[in-house]
Amino acid sequence: MSGLLYKNFRINRSSMIFTLVTAILCGLTLIFAALFGYTLRGVTPVEPASASSTDVLTASSACYFLAFWLPSMASATLFHADENKTCCAFAMSLPQGAKGHVEAKYYYLLIQALGILFIMFITDTILTAMLGGTVSTTAVLPLLFSLHLFLAAVEIPFMILFGADRGLQIKGGVVLAVFAMVAVYFLFGDISWFIENEDDPLGAFMAWLGSGDIIFWLALFPYISIAAYYISCKISVKIYRKGAESYEQ
Amino acid sequence: MSSDKKLTVKRLVIFLVLAFLPFCIIVPVMWSYFGEPIYASENPDTVVANYCVGVFGMMVPSIAHLLTRLITKEGFRNTYLGLNTKGKMGYYAASVIVPLACSSLSAVLVWAFFMNGSGFGDTFNNFNIQSIGLFLLQFAYSLIVFFPAFGEEWGWRGYMMPKLMELMPKPLAVIAGGIIWGLWHAPLTVAGHNFGVDYPGYPFVGIGLMCLMCTAMNAFMTLLTEKTKSIYPAAFVHAVNNNLSIGVMFTFFSNEEAMMKLGGLSAVEMFIPYIGVLAVIFIISMVFLTKNHELTIDN
Repeated sequence: MSGLLYKNFRINRSSMIFTLVTAILCGLTLIFAALFGYTLRGVTPVEPASASSTDVLTASSACYFLAFWLPSMASATLFHADENKTCCAFAMSLPQGAKGHVEAKYYYLLIQALGILFIMFITDTILTAMLGGTVSTTAVLPLLFSLHLFLAAVEIPFMILFGADRGLQIKGGVVLAVFAMVAVYFLFGDISWFIENEDDPLGAFMAWLGSGDIIFWLALFPYISIAAYYISCKISVKIYRKGAESYEQ
Repeated sequence: MSSDKKLTVKRLVIFLVLAFLPFCIIVPVMWSYFGEPIYASENPDTVVANYCVGVFGMMVPSIAHLLTRLITKEGFRNTYLGLNTKGKMGYYAASVIVPLACSSLSAVLVWAFFMNGSGFGDTFNNFNIQSIGLFLLQFAYSLIVFFPAFGEEWGWRGYMMPKLMELMPKPLAVIAGGIIWGLWHAPLTVAGHNFGVDYPGYPFVGIGLMCLMCTAMNAFMTLLTEKTKSIYPAAFVHAVNNNLSIGVMFTFFSNEEAMMKLGGLSAVEMFIPYIGVLAVIFIISMVFLTKNHELTIDN
């Protein structure tokens, strides 16, 4: 497994460097923004639950999201590299077989995501210290990490079965279709379980958000995404041979 | 003493000096800067400083591990960085379940010893969808705590313990390792970490309790590391243990009256049931470790 992982790191060195540099730049942007906020404007540590603390929370959440989202755009390169019949036949002839080949890709993406999470955690710690401990976005990080894993879990089987380019298109189509179905349901379906007062749907929605019920479903998300990543890996191993037959020579 | 053992001792000493030095310098400097024990202070600036010392300080043993390997030209074999999950998933599951069970059981013992007059159902009456959700979110936060936890584990279980086990029998190595690990926390304990500063026998009782706790935890973590030949299960144990304390269990699931009673307890009092649970884990882990050790000698 370590050999296959090494191969992935070697082939996708530039993609890995791009990922880490992006995460570091996102972190540095936040740190410098906080630093200049102090020195140029003479801002004192922000008060908790104030407008400036909301600004910091929004800015840092956006930066963390960007740090996780940008590398996922380049994930196709991981599959492009050995997406031909010769490479696939060679991968299947290895002692670890197709299973090891596919699992190594999952491990690679997991290590990449953990790398980003670590950089963002260090950024958040420095930011928390700079802002006098009044604002911290650390709680958002596990959720962003989970979202990243969940999207990868959905994306990879498609890329393995149909090839990186077509897989991305099909995944985009599926995600769009799901969103469309959800939108249609929320527009025309029965949502009384969700919003009781239809005269004031926004007010009812805000009340639902504040009720605390959402916390349970939000808390389940990291566990669901980890399970989805594991199941996705198992599915990808099963469909690898079928996908490999459709690749070009 | 053979030349191999001499080299191991030399490497171990270099590692320990590098691991111990930062806290021995930083904590007294911060104490003199803020003018009070930093972990017992209510000054908001010290709270931030404590958080940073906690996060970055926990990474010191890993850095010491890395530097020792570079200084002594040891190379990077047997770093315990592989996953080795094949046939070992039970140990990985135990690395999450055991500390979780340990915290839950300790919370039950705290109720049994200190919540006199209050029934279990009355004390822990806050089991609703919101509190379970908050608990699950806190548990997921172990993902973040994993990084500093890994920082400690790669040093202690990934470097110190294999070296100690080269020098002495396993049971002795576990006890020596636990005491060293406990003493590493001593500057923090003196500054009020975990127990505060106003308890009888300060700071020696605190340091002693820390050594006891670390020895018990060390047995379990060394067992997991030895069985899986990987450092990650020990890091999971450390992350979950640091993330879900007795206080956290009470915060999510108990009522206000129980929280007030808990607030009236000293940290040392709260620690005693926890040590009791850890003692059981220590005995079981030592049995497994020694069994394995005897088999190795027979072979």
